[in-house]
Amino acid sequence: MSDEQLIHEILSGDNSAFKALMEKYQLQVFRTVVGFVHSKEDAEDVTQDIFVKVYQSFTSFKGESEFSTWLYRITVNMSINFINRNRKNRLLQSLEDIFHKPSGEKTPMEHLEDSERDHRIRKAIDSLPEKQRMAFILSKYEELPQKTIASVMNTSEGAVEQLLQRAKNNLQKKLTT
Amino acid sequence: MKTEQYIDNLIRREKQMEPNPFLSTRVMATIEKSQQQEVRKVPVWQAVVLAASIAAVAFLGVTIGNSYVDNASPEMVMNINDSQIENLGYYNFADYE
Repeated sequence: MSDEQLIHEILSGDNSAFKALMEKYQLQVFRTVVGFVHSKEDAEDVTQDIFVKVYQSFTSFKGESEFSTWLYRITVNMSINFINRNRKNRLLQSLEDIFHKPSGEKTPMEHLEDSERDHRIRKAIDSLPEKQRMAFILSKYEELPQKTIASVMNTSEGAVEQLLQRAKNNLQKKLTT
Repeated sequence: MKTEQYIDNLIRREKQMEPNPFLSTRVMATIEKSQQQEVRKVPVWQAVVLAASIAAVAFLGVTIGNSYVDNASPEMVMNINDSQIENLGYYNFADYE
């Protein structure tokens, strides 16, 4: 069933259609949220909030853009709101990630180095300016084409290209110093 | 390894994370719960009518209370003199002998 048909069913009160729509998009939403929050538990909570919000806001969906574009916009905005609300908790979470990961084949020293590197990369991604971060996550985590990213961000393809280039340069700078 | 490769490696690992398979069930339960709460929620107009009724009853009580006028004449007073109510002198045989 197409998105339009599912939306029509949902608006006529069929909750099972909403479940079908959610199952179709939940992985994309979850992956995008992971790009922002870097934690499975937080990503699940935010994904849940996003779909509840989508259900409540269906009446405001005019169909001017594609449903997926509208959904990505909500996803990005709610992920950023979540990060802004939970800055302190996220600092503790990242410290826990460094010290409490199960060790595999690597030595504890190697494991600590890897965790430290991951932490630095996450921190560098999180410290990118908001628009650069949005473009970077949608491009890298969701592998969306620049055209789609441009419509999610309400900007031009050229601007997205610039944002991605700046994000890449900023990350290089932050991680090499 | 180059920085870019480290970044791609981290992103690849994060992309492998999968949500809980019961996530959609969890969301549907949350939506149904919020719908039930909405049904149970008392409409604003009902709360307003109830508050207005209580205020009207209180006002009416005060008005009725204030409208009471004491019409009792000054002669009509409560007699609390027990010896007048029941004159014990009647039972005193010595007075009638």
